[in-house]
Amino acid sequence: MTVIAVISPKGGVGKTTVAVNLASAMAENGRVVRLVDMDPQNALRLHLGADPGDANGLVHQTLQQSSWYYTEYDSAYGVSFIPYGRVSEVERITFEAYLAQTPNWLRDNIAELGHDPAGLTIIDTPPGPSVYVQQVLSIANLVLVVMIPDAGSYATMPAIEGLLDYYCAHRSDFYGSYYVLNQFDAEHPLNRDIKNVMQNTLGERLAPYSIHRDESLSEALAFQQPARDYAPYSQSVEDLAQLAVWLENKVARVAR
Amino acid sequence: MSSAPSDNNPVNPAGEQREDRRSRLRGQSRYKFGKLNEYATAILEWHGWEHNYWRIAVILVVLVLFVFSMSVPMSLAFQSVYAAILFAISMFIRRYTGTLFTLVMVVFSVGQSSRYLYWRMTETLVLDNWVDGTFGIILLLAEIYAWMVLLLGYVQTIWPLKRKPEPMPEDTALWPSVDIYITTYDEPLRVVSPTVLAALAIDWPRDRLNIYLLDDGRREEFREFAESVGITHLTRDNNFHAKAGNINAALAKTSGEYVAIFDCDHIPARSFLQMTMGWFLRDQKLGMIQTPHHFLSPDPFERNLGTFRRVPNEGELFYGLIQDGNDLWNATFFCGSCAVIRRSILLDIGGVAVETVTEDAHTALKMHRMGYTTAYISIPQAAGLATESLSAHVGQRIRWARGMAQIFRVDNPLFGKGLSLMQRLCYSNAMLHFFYGLPRVIFLTAPLSYLFFQAHIINAEALLIAAYAIPHLAHANLTNSRMQGTHRHSFWAELYESTLAWYILRPTLVALIDPKFGKFNVTAKGGLIEKEFLDWQIGAPYLIMLGLNIAGLLTGFVRLFWWNSFEAQTVILNIIWTVYNLVLLGATMAVATEAKQVRANHRVNCNQKAMLKLNSGSRVVCRASDYSEGGLGLTMPDAGMVSLHSEVRVSLFMGVREFVFPARVVFARDTEVGVEFEGLSLQQQMDLVQCTLARADAWLDWTDNRVVDRPMRGLQEILFHSMKGFQHLWHHLLTRVSTTLPQGAEDKKPGKDVFYHTLSKKMTGAGQQETMMHRLNGFVQKGRAVLLKSGDSLRARLARGRA
Repeated sequence: MTVIAVISPKGGVGKTTVAVNLASAMAENGRVVRLVDMDPQNALRLHLGADPGDANGLVHQTLQQSSWYYTEYDSAYGVSFIPYGRVSEVERITFEAYLAQTPNWLRDNIAELGHDPAGLTIIDTPPGPSVYVQQVLSIANLVLVVMIPDAGSYATMPAIEGLLDYYCAHRSDFYGSYYVLNQFDAEHPLNRDIKNVMQNTLGERLAPYSIHRDESLSEALAFQQPARDYAPYSQSVEDLAQLAVWLENKVARVAR
Repeated sequence: MSSAPSDNNPVNPAGEQREDRRSRLRGQSRYKFGKLNEYATAILEWHGWEHNYWRIAVILVVLVLFVFSMSVPMSLAFQSVYAAILFAISMFIRRYTGTLFTLVMVVFSVGQSSRYLYWRMTETLVLDNWVDGTFGIILLLAEIYAWMVLLLGYVQTIWPLKRKPEPMPEDTALWPSVDIYITTYDEPLRVVSPTVLAALAIDWPRDRLNIYLLDDGRREEFREFAESVGITHLTRDNNFHAKAGNINAALAKTSGEYVAIFDCDHIPARSFLQMTMGWFLRDQKLGMIQTPHHFLSPDPFERNLGTFRRVPNEGELFYGLIQDGNDLWNATFFCGSCAVIRRSILLDIGGVAVETVTEDAHTALKMHRMGYTTAYISIPQAAGLATESLSAHVGQRIRWARGMAQIFRVDNPLFGKGLSLMQRLCYSNAMLHFFYGLPRVIFLTAPLSYLFFQAHIINAEALLIAAYAIPHLAHANLTNSRMQGTHRHSFWAELYESTLAWYILRPTLVALIDPKFGKFNVTAKGGLIEKEFLDWQIGAPYLIMLGLNIAGLLTGFVRLFWWNSFEAQTVILNIIWTVYNLVLLGATMAVATEAKQVRANHRVNCNQKAMLKLNSGSRVVCRASDYSEGGLGLTMPDAGMVSLHSEVRVSLFMGVREFVFPARVVFARDTEVGVEFEGLSLQQQMDLVQCTLARADAWLDWTDNRVVDRPMRGLQEILFHSMKGFQHLWHHLLTRVSTTLPQGAEDKKPGKDVFYHTLSKKMTGAGQQETMMHRLNGFVQKGRAVLLKSGDSLRARLARGRA
């Protein structure tokens, strides 16, 4: 089982969108993919056609001391997902306090989900450092950092690198962290410049394909579908498909 | 690469082989199989060649054998059998690749053609009466010319060098400085600006690249443009010696070690310098490297006959084969554009030659005389516009023919110091080629001398003529098809020559007598033909010859049945020849019918990744299928995604870099979308040229749609175009006649014009052409089956050979 963490330094960069669409592309290539939503926004399930009224999620199951098994849903798009759950403020605070005291909580629950060596679990996180990110980074085999090509994102790179160093670098089961550029618009010189700078700084660690800014991605969420089903000919879908192939190579190295 | 590098294999065999290959450049083996290959290589590498007396002995033996085979008299039966055997051998070995077999076919062809000529000279001339004698000698002289050109052609192209580009050294500090000259006289800015923008995109260290716009028109618009893009605008206060003078004046004002010269409409690829400069660093005596002139628009033949990219065009024999063959003998000559010249050597010979109007070939000749070398790389690295109309094309060829005749007269390559034997022969062939005007006109009218005047120009019975002439023609066709097949289809040379023959006749003869006579005409580029018309002015000489030949045909039938039925075979032979001439002249008419040009900007096919950003903000994946100066053709899954006249953003990619261009949708149907760019900034124009015309791989697929040559197929193609030519002629004659008639007559027969118009419209479809080809093919096959009634195995063998 390979665990991929999708993190981002700032909110609104499209991390959840990227996670879901990447998962769906990899499922298309034959992988068994599971998505785990660790973001209190609880938005991941909406990309996959879940019923907005359903409040179930991993928080409720954890607070009730029961297994995640009961909150794993299948989607019509080849991936299964575990939502965060619609929680009240009290429940959220209790949950986060519990997490702070139980650093192995995520590791144990993931282990419970199964030992399929070819399986893939992609975990979505809230932006910035948080107790969720701590736990996810402690067990991830691969980390994808989603950024948009603006100066603000670039400025947060040192902070992210610090997080990665602290939680991941020393682990033997960590196979690398990569940056993915989202919402790239070649028309704007700033986008092109930031991309160039990131290429020079990161080299191989910047994913070779940037995801173009594309309304189809947002519209797909409105239709509660992954973009490849909603707008199969859009550029962002092609970018994500190419990213999926690239990621597949990385995952294959982990499995060995 | 065959295997991935591994620790157990430290020696790199590919690296070792590279050194060997470089040192064996000229002796490079070009075929990879067969015992015969080994024997041939053994012969080539035999140590005995180093001793002069062995060489002389072998040459003497070959000469004796040659003279013997040429002159030994044979009876009709013997000659026929001899010819049939050699022909059968040729047909058999032509299925195998390899220069050795080509050599064998060349030897056979030379033997048969020389035999024919010898027989003609010794046994078929009638000198006792002046009618027969005059016409006979005229025809014989034309045939001697054709024989010389045939032999020289074989020698020139027997082993195309196919030189590979030499890589530049890794350290860019060693790369020399290059000046790029873009010469212009009166062409509009919109033709010149893509060339300038592409030159700006050439991959070369910025500090060692200087671009100069050599403007002989001294136009303000060009000066402003040059300033806005950051290049130098050079002018001079006179226009002496046209382009040669322009370049020489610029040489005095610039200082790059090398000079790359481009015509104003030849757009260079970004890899131009990297592909060519390597050889200069390797060979210090190298004076010039030439690359092909590739056309992104059809020339008059291709446009009017509809054969663009399906049949190789006229220039391709030269740029695809002849220059490559020249390269082996170090006889490549400068063609005026798409070349790089070493400044020191150019100055050494006194600058670009100004004594003749083909200053380019003369410059290379001077270089060779002083012992410098030239090179040719047959990879197209630039593309330009072909001549727009037949009249412009003729004007250009007249200039070339005149210039070559001038050089022949003023600086004859056969004499004078400094050239090797092979260089002399190659240059002579290049110049002799342009004298085809008179021989071609003679061939087109020769049978008339019998049909009108009963002059026996070939005094022999028809079967004997057939026994000598048919092997001569057949072997020549077969061998040329094998050597040139990918660069020129069989029988098309007849068409090209026939179309231009009359016009280059006078200039060459005049230039031969007095080289100073005649002025330099520049060919204008970039005009638009609004509707189809038959160029009566250009076609006039051919109409006359056509008329004469038709009259000759009718006279022939009269002679056959009444006046000369005693020598029916001779009459029939002359009639067949006349019919062949009519076919050629008909095809000439098709070329003279200028097809309508739909758009002013030429479309170039491509297949590139592209992206369209719609108004809604979605970005759609698509592919660019063709581009032109103002727009782009795209293929997308559903053209319904875009609405007509909407504004979009088109992205083109160069590697991983993306360039965005504002555009407007002008066409959308099924999966095809056409966009036009509007309001591009200068930087965007440059980016667009970089992404499209200046790509390093822009022209590498120029042979993709090529149809492989087979001699019969070439003949069918010419027949097809000839029939279309007659049809055009008939239609346009009718139009002319009907417009001079009073209105009433026109009203009476509206249907006829419409009928012919729709017929010509139908016939232009490629599908109709295919049907016609099938019909012709069927006819030819039936004829062949009739001839081969004897021997099923022979028929089967030929069928296999044809497949």
